[in-house]
Amino acid sequence: MKVTYNWLKEFVDIKIPAKQLADKLTMAGLEVVSLEEKAGDFVLEIEITSNRPDWLSVLGVAREVAAITRRELKAKNPKPKTKTAKGNLRIEIEDKRDCLCYTARIIRGIKVGPSPEWLRKRLELVGCRSVNNIVDITNYALLELGEPLHAFDLDKLNPGKIVVRRAKAGEKIATLDGQVRSLNNNVLVIADKAKAVAIAGVMGGKETEVTLDTRNILLEAAVFNPIVVRRCRQALGLQSESSYRFERGVDLGMVEQASLRAAQLIREYCFTQEVSFNSSGLVKCKEGSVKLGMARATEVLGANIAPAKIKQTLSRLGFAVKQKAKNILDVGVPSSRPDVKLEVDLIEELARIFGYERIPVSLPAVKPRVTANVKRALTSTVKEILVGLGLSEVITYSLTDKLTLNSLGLGVQPIEILNPLSQEQEVLRPTLISGLGRAVSLNFNQKQEYVAIFEISNIFLGENKPREELTLGIALSGTKSFLLEQGRVKDEASFLNLKGIVETIFARLGIRDYVLHNQGSSAEIRIQDEKVGQMLSLSSQSLDRLNIKNKNVFMLELSLDKVSAFTRRDKKFIPLPRYPGIARDISFILKEGFSVQAIMVLLKEKGRPLLSEVRITDYYKGRQIPVGYRGLTLSCFYSSNERTLAENEIQPTHELLCAELVRQFGVKLR
Amino acid sequence: MDIKAVSAQIDADIQEINSSETLEQFRLKYLGRKGLVAGLTSTIPGLPQEERARFGQEVNALKNKLLSLIAEKQKTLAGSSEQAVQAAGDLGMPGINQSLGQLHPLTQVTDEICAIFSRMGFSIVEGPEIESEYNNFTGLNIPLEHPSREAFDTFYLKNYTKMLLRSHTSPVQVRQMKEQKPPLAIVVPGRVYRPDAVDAAHSFMFHQVEGFMVDTGIKFSDLKGILEMFAQAVFGNDIKMRFRPHFFPFTEPSAEVDISCIICKGKGCSVCGRKGWLEILGSGMIHPNVFKHVGIDADKYTGFAFGLGIERIAMLKYGINDIRLFFENDLRFLRQF
Repeated sequence: MKVTYNWLKEFVDIKIPAKQLADKLTMAGLEVVSLEEKAGDFVLEIEITSNRPDWLSVLGVAREVAAITRRELKAKNPKPKTKTAKGNLRIEIEDKRDCLCYTARIIRGIKVGPSPEWLRKRLELVGCRSVNNIVDITNYALLELGEPLHAFDLDKLNPGKIVVRRAKAGEKIATLDGQVRSLNNNVLVIADKAKAVAIAGVMGGKETEVTLDTRNILLEAAVFNPIVVRRCRQALGLQSESSYRFERGVDLGMVEQASLRAAQLIREYCFTQEVSFNSSGLVKCKEGSVKLGMARATEVLGANIAPAKIKQTLSRLGFAVKQKAKNILDVGVPSSRPDVKLEVDLIEELARIFGYERIPVSLPAVKPRVTANVKRALTSTVKEILVGLGLSEVITYSLTDKLTLNSLGLGVQPIEILNPLSQEQEVLRPTLISGLGRAVSLNFNQKQEYVAIFEISNIFLGENKPREELTLGIALSGTKSFLLEQGRVKDEASFLNLKGIVETIFARLGIRDYVLHNQGSSAEIRIQDEKVGQMLSLSSQSLDRLNIKNKNVFMLELSLDKVSAFTRRDKKFIPLPRYPGIARDISFILKEGFSVQAIMVLLKEKGRPLLSEVRITDYYKGRQIPVGYRGLTLSCFYSSNERTLAENEIQPTHELLCAELVRQFGVKLR
Repeated sequence: MDIKAVSAQIDADIQEINSSETLEQFRLKYLGRKGLVAGLTSTIPGLPQEERARFGQEVNALKNKLLSLIAEKQKTLAGSSEQAVQAAGDLGMPGINQSLGQLHPLTQVTDEICAIFSRMGFSIVEGPEIESEYNNFTGLNIPLEHPSREAFDTFYLKNYTKMLLRSHTSPVQVRQMKEQKPPLAIVVPGRVYRPDAVDAAHSFMFHQVEGFMVDTGIKFSDLKGILEMFAQAVFGNDIKMRFRPHFFPFTEPSAEVDISCIICKGKGCSVCGRKGWLEILGSGMIHPNVFKHVGIDADKYTGFAFGLGIERIAMLKYGINDIRLFFENDLRFLRQF
């Protein structure tokens, strides 16, 4: 909202320059976002928080200025001595909950024309377009006092009655902006006995607009239900200075004063005579009161504010302060301050005017708790491992579009968003794969040769209740090249790279009994028969959709929520072997189709008790190996806890193992 | 020359040697086939029988002295360049290593913030991203139909009534205060969502860290103290801070916190909009109505809460000018952190 320095000065003697005033307002919670010198005045643009509708007026800001600069607010707009006669207009409010109060002032014999220079100028300074003197005056009173007013051309209304009611289904009205709007029962309207003439609190009707020909007007000042106005505004997509204020709450105590202020200006500038004033629901506002313990203020703020200062500050802000007991005040809250309901609300007022910058700095005694956040610790362990393995962490959007998801062919029904702004936000992702795929694609477009990325975040599953699952996603693609002593080495991403990552993570987490269950183009990761994740390579359909060409993309998804249950942190020391062992290699050629895993199982079983470890130390295909075969070298390690083994002791076992390999797998020993 | 004279000359000559060439000349002069030591040896047959053994031993000692002197000199000379290349190879070649990956800058900033509060004794807790309307709004004293809701525009879920994507991390306050009794000192990092059109400064998904403390006798001045420590830990000790009154439905009194612009040091630049100050977080004393919703006695306990945007902090810290970079995941971007 914009106010001007000179306008404020009409309400309070300001002795400080505009810049300083702007700084003080900012530090009191009325953030001045711009200060501009214009036409011999200063325009302050203030960001008003939604709890302070009273600041949406020059008067409200002036009251604040008075408190900050320690001055008194000038009394303005005294009530006229003679009371205006009551006319024969009938005001009917259909539901008091929709409209707390409605007043109508009939003014006759006006001359509509351009506004006087000062009025036009002032309105334009605060960004309000000048229309004609009547409209300008209603706007002026609105900006000055915060109470929205509306003037109807009296002669275009059906005489006798004003009704505040809900619109009928199918009822139509042309609003001031020239649009014809269809209304319904949620919209509150002002109507004469025949038809709707204005949308209550939002905008007047075109038909009853004040024009240059208007001679007589009905000046409306009312208070409408904030929620009703808000719904109307949302439903019609129509925002106005009036609706903005009604939504935030208009001061019931200001209704009559604003109407009088406009009437006074109209009398002064539009050659007129006032005829009558009718109202419904206009009551003298009851003031609530809030008890303030002055010691409590010190307790909450950690700053000492002197009692005299407390009383003075509150009165300058318009509160009626009464001493109730020693250290306890009974604070009367004016109708303009519906936001003040509790003691802390008053404490905030004190802190604001006292100045947050003057509140000292202290440190509380924190009583820490030692329980660790298990999930967070797991996440950070896994992240460390992956970064150590050369993968980069990415963060992708949790919301995605249905099309990309469908192209993955997951067959899961994702949770849909009711109010997405765009297609890209249609659903919550049930997998990390789509986001990772997109990141891979982007990086190949940027000419990366190798992409190894991961993300740890939630996926969302729509079951009876929506469920979140903390998930690790990994994507590997392209060819990694690195230098060794003998030169450049290339390593093309494959399932085995993924497997290596899984092994490293599980080893660190103390998880041993897992299997990778091969399912053709994908593999399930199971721990103790529970599926905890999967590895897959993207289908050509998905690759097309992601615009990835000539590359395979290998993905892994692992539920950290599930894995978490299997992690073992309790490590036990195993005594180091006391006697040296003997290592023996077996090199052989194996026909494709046989599983290495089965070989390992067999060797471990047949090698007992002397064989303590067996692992694959080399594998190769190529010139010396016939097509359809692969070469493997296994290293068998024999040892005993009781003695140093002799060569001839292990010989029978080793020979047995070789023979079994030949017998069961048809290997050719080399 | 007798042995003594040769020995004295050796001591003098060795001082002069400063390169491998001069050392080689030195070696030839004494140990060469026609060198001085050979000369001494050749005199042995002409010596009386009883002197030969002693003389022989003295020549041998001299020979050993020369060998150790040469070896020693070789070592000192080895510092010079070419010899090093021979020993270690060309160190201008790239090192052989395993390249590390890196954590996302938002993770790094989140971890740093959490670590700071951990050191102060705060626990780190997380909460769900799908929330109830109650925890996201009502429990935090945000009325359902009020303009204050507009600051928290929200994604709602289809098919699940009154369920939404949390628009801030504050619902975790409600959850934690219901679950645990004070004293509480908790920070909550997490993802949040608001239906905003995406541009350089806005994203419909972003990250926050929420912090709050509840105990007897917690004061506004404590909030100032904790946040000042925090800001100094993140941005440096010479940072200035200011607390401005503001409005948040879940705190009273509420404060917005600015730090002196880290780019222009408060003079005014384009980053701070010529104000000299950067808004970094919202905070305040927990509203008694929030305590009422979670069943904490507001007469006995007070508390403070604060919340900040991770992207904003990361953008300031690293000088990043477009929020979308965080979610594009271009490796050329990620590898800078």
